[in-house]
Amino acid sequence: MAERPEDLNLPNAVITRIIKEALPEGVNISKEARSAISRAASVFVLYATSCANNFAMKGKRKTLNASDVLSAMEEMEFQRFVTPLKEALEAYRREQKGKKEASEQKKKDKDKKTDSEEQDKSRDEDNDEDEERLEEEEQNEEEDVDN
Amino acid sequence: MAAAAAAAAAAAAGSGPAREEEGPAGEAAAPQPQAPTSAPGARLSRLPLARVKALVKADPDVTLAGQEAIFILARAAELFVETIAKDAYCCAQQGKRKTLQRRDLDNAIEAVDEFAFLEGTLD
Repeated sequence: MAERPEDLNLPNAVITRIIKEALPEGVNISKEARSAISRAASVFVLYATSCANNFAMKGKRKTLNASDVLSAMEEMEFQRFVTPLKEALEAYRREQKGKKEASEQKKKDKDKKTDSEEQDKSRDEDNDEDEERLEEEEQNEEEDVDN
Repeated sequence: MAAAAAAAAAAAAGSGPAREEEGPAGEAAAPQPQAPTSAPGARLSRLPLARVKALVKADPDVTLAGQEAIFILARAAELFVETIAKDAYCCAQQGKRKTLQRRDLDNAIEAVDEFAFLEGTLD
C-alpha cells in the first residue's frame, strides 16, 4: 500500500501517546495535526537514515551503526538529541547484555538438566558402543589375516 | 552489578505504562513484549523497531543497519515528535487555543530552522 517511503507510518497510538505526554494536561491535538506529526516523524527517520548512511559510506562500512546515527543528528542540527540518545544507547546495551546473559544462563540450566537425564541413557549407549567396537576389531583381525 | 540493576529497575518502574502500545503493533522485531523479566526494557523505546527498520530499508542506498542504529533512530524519532509537538504548542498558545491544529505545525516548521527539511513533505 505504501507508494512512497513517507507513507510508511509509525503507529498512530504510539505517536498520540508521545505527543500527549509532551504537552501539558488538557491540551488536545486535532486529527490532522497528529497525522502530520506522524508523517513528519517518518520523514525524519528517512532523512536521518540518509545522513547516517553518508557517514557509514565515509567510513567505508556497509552497515549503519549507532555512531553514524549520532553523527547524523549533529549534522541535522539536532545536537540536543545527542546526549539523551547516548544515554538511551547505554541503557539499551546493558539490557541487551542482560538478556544475552539471561538466555545463556537458561541454556546452561537446560543443558544441566538434559545432561543428568542423558547420563542414564548414555550408560546404555556406551554398552552398545563397546559391542560395536568389539565387532569391528574382529573384522579387522580377519582382514589382517587375509592380507 | 546488583546495585546497578536495582537502580535501573527503579528508574523503569517509575516510568509508567509505555508497554501496552507495543503489543498491538505486534512486529516480531520489537523488544520483547513480555515485560516480566527486566523492567529496564520497558522505557527504552515505544516505537516498534520493525516499523523503523522498514523505513530505513526504504532507502535504496542503505545496505544494512545494525540493531543499535535502528534503536537509536526509533528513540530519536520519539524525541523529534516530542520536540515538534512542543514547538507547535507554543504557536497554539499564542492563539490562546487548547487544541493543536495543523497550521500550528506549519508555523513551527517555518519558524524553526531544524525543521526546514520538512518543508513540502507533509502534503
